[in-house]
Amino acid sequence: MVVFAFYVFDRHAECIYKKRWQDALPGAPATSLRPPSQSTVANAPAPARQSLKSDDDAKLIFGTVYSLRNMVRKLGGEDDSFLSYRTSQYKLHYYETPTNIKFVMLTDVKANSMRHALQQIYVNIYVEYVVKNALSPAEHPGGIGVDNELFEASLDVFVERVLNTQPPDPRA
Amino acid sequence: MPVFALLVISKAGSLIYHRTLPTSTSASTSSSGSQPATGTLGLPGTTSLTTNDYLVLAGTFHGVHAITKNVTPKFLANSASSSDHPPAPTTNGVTGKASSFRYPIPDAPVTGIESLESSFFKLTVFQSLTGTKFLLFTDPSMPNTDGLIRGIYDRFADHVCKNPFWHIDNPIRLDGWERALNQFLFRR
Repeated sequence: MVVFAFYVFDRHAECIYKKRWQDALPGAPATSLRPPSQSTVANAPAPARQSLKSDDDAKLIFGTVYSLRNMVRKLGGEDDSFLSYRTSQYKLHYYETPTNIKFVMLTDVKANSMRHALQQIYVNIYVEYVVKNALSPAEHPGGIGVDNELFEASLDVFVERVLNTQPPDPRA
Repeated sequence: MPVFALLVISKAGSLIYHRTLPTSTSASTSSSGSQPATGTLGLPGTTSLTTNDYLVLAGTFHGVHAITKNVTPKFLANSASSSDHPPAPTTNGVTGKASSFRYPIPDAPVTGIESLESSFFKLTVFQSLTGTKFLLFTDPSMPNTDGLIRGIYDRFADHVCKNPFWHIDNPIRLDGWERALNQFLFRR
């Protein structure tokens, strides 16, 4: 299984964290604002984290999951929750916390349900390093975002060691 | 029969056919019995849905479908050293001289949503070559929804497209199509 991208949106529809692995968005050079975290996996090039305002794919992703979430709620009732969708090229997983923080992950199509993994990221990484961080702002106006070394490093480790190294699907 | 509903969306994004199926059996067999009163779609929220709501849903989905196609991850073509996806030069992944990139699965065409899962239902989408979209809402545990939706498309081609009294992208109100659909969905 391969993780392509990861996004966090706060309750004001602001993208507060975004990370893409092995990325090549045309027109957006793969430069990072800060020195990239130490990558443990050889096949992952330098992580490409652009400035949050520079491109629009996060907005598109948010619009998509927001629309689909509302559609699912309308059809399935208030208790229903949007879990994932799949195209021929990728699969998008969605997890929303009770406080309306939205976690979105793009993986390859063979991935199983990532609901549990996203919940783990929320509980073990986001809450630990962002929510419990006294210096971290409660709200993120203007797209400052989660600018936190520990969060980024832990997320990187989680994705590279736990998710990307799961045994491949036998059907693959 | 845990099929909740079938929607057909024209290539312009308007709803041209919508049908909800009675789900008396699915409510008792497929769910754990914890669901509240089931509506027309067999789902708790759909009791209050009007035709207008379905029109809005179809329009929304049409837009979302296009966006999901657009946000497909792209990789630099020359960084294709990953063992999972051997670099395969293809016309699919290259758009210009400056930015050559490839998609995660270079051989497959790029599509929008093909299936969507929620806690209570699964949505299978089939887009025909001419852009008509078929949306099939089923129980999450329903197997082989792709085969089912292909069968529906076959009936659509035979009983709607080949009908001289139906004009393309107009709402479908044809008895033959209804009959064929009934036969296909209920007597398989």
